[in-house]
Amino acid sequence: MLDERKVKLMTKLALYEQTQGKKDFKVSEYYRKDYAGMHIIFSILWVTVGYMLLVIMAAFAGLEALMESLSLALLITLGAGIVIGYLIVVIVYAVITGWLYNARHKDARQRVKKYNHNLTILLKMYEKEKK
Amino acid sequence: MDSLFVFRGMLQDLYAKNSKVIDKAVQFVLALVTFYLINQNVGFMKMAANPVVTLALAVICTFFPMIMTAIMATLLILAHMYAVSLGALVVTAAVFLVMYIFYFRLTSKMALVVLLTPIAFVLKIPYVIPVVFGLIAGPAALVAISCGTIVYYMMEYVKKAAAGMKGKDAVGLMGQVSAYLKQVFQSKEMWIFIMACVIGFLVVYTLRRQSINHAWKIAVIAGVVTNIVVVTAGDISFGVAASYASMILAGGASVIIGLILEFFFFSVDYTRSEKMQFEDDEYYYYVKAIPKLSVSTPEKTVKRINKRQEPENATEVRRRNRSSEGASGKKTVNKARVKKSQLKRGPAAKKHDMKEIDKMLLTQSLKKDLNLK
Repeated sequence: MLDERKVKLMTKLALYEQTQGKKDFKVSEYYRKDYAGMHIIFSILWVTVGYMLLVIMAAFAGLEALMESLSLALLITLGAGIVIGYLIVVIVYAVITGWLYNARHKDARQRVKKYNHNLTILLKMYEKEKK
Repeated sequence: MDSLFVFRGMLQDLYAKNSKVIDKAVQFVLALVTFYLINQNVGFMKMAANPVVTLALAVICTFFPMIMTAIMATLLILAHMYAVSLGALVVTAAVFLVMYIFYFRLTSKMALVVLLTPIAFVLKIPYVIPVVFGLIAGPAALVAISCGTIVYYMMEYVKKAAAGMKGKDAVGLMGQVSAYLKQVFQSKEMWIFIMACVIGFLVVYTLRRQSINHAWKIAVIAGVVTNIVVVTAGDISFGVAASYASMILAGGASVIIGLILEFFFFSVDYTRSEKMQFEDDEYYYYVKAIPKLSVSTPEKTVKRINKRQEPENATEVRRRNRSSEGASGKKTVNKARVKKSQLKRGPAAKKHDMKEIDKMLLTQSLKKDLNLK
């Protein structure tokens, strides 16, 4: 005999497992701080590569103008500007990444908790059936 | 007006019933249009620009998430750039990589905006983008719109300068890279459009969230006007030539699209709006409540007026005849037919209906519980 409540619950669980659950289970394996920290490190590495690319592109775009007015003072100013710019970009990205991945971990944990709760209810239903 | 709302209701019902098919169809059309426009504008690699390849790529992308279309479009552009020159490939790849690193790594869903922005530019309706995303998205879309604008101007430059980018020696390559970057990132027209898009988007986004009457209409019109004004002012001050007729036409198209969006996503009845004021220990509250407009779609009931109706006596007579045939031992009676005729009668048919109703109720309750549309 089909139990409507059980069917509903199992469908809900299967739907979650096969869609959002896949990602959420991986996320919830980490502590929130570890998860956010790991992504901040990745973000800093990526931003470093991106910033280097940007600087190289800007150098190519302004190569002629740079060569025309090349001087030590200009080079020092440019170097300082590049370093300060890099620090600002890295800090901004670290903050954004930290906030984003903290929120993602929190949401994923909540969904996994709900999933576990539904799983317990299903287990109880089976136990009740056996009795 | 009511008939329009009925039509909207019908469309919503249709979408609710066939959402998966419609979503995939939209994805296929978007992929096809994107690849077609790429091939039309920068189709330098003959093999990749083939219509059959375009169609095949669009079909493949339909079976994957939307991000796949964006990735495939990027790869297609890079293939065409490789056909032009190594310099074009290097610069384009570097720009895409920077976009990915700084933005799409965090919100991959916004890649769709980058696809739509150059499409809008090619279709000569660029003002649609800030209006549409100002209405339905948040400020995060601004970066994606700017990236899309950069992609369009990059393609425009390569389209025009492809013939001059053929040098293969190291000096020629450096020159190509330098000229490409310079032309694209020092393009006044591009920066004017980015500025116009940013300001237009912010105007639309800010106004549509106000509690004023007809907020969405005001936002759409104000956004389009702002866009046109900023572009015109920029063009005049930087001496960029622009076609004002096409600008106004594009503005008109944007207003129409904005109003269509309002019709589907924000139809409210301002005549029945109510203002309330109340207080608790800590605050005074000023609340404005505007009822949503909804017209229920009339249900069609099919009444058969030419159905063949047999008198009860006739059925009775036929049944008797059948039973007498059975009694006389005729073996030609088709058992299946007898069963079928029995099924058609009262109790069996009801049992069948009940099963159907049970199934329907179960599906409905499942849908409700799972929040499926």
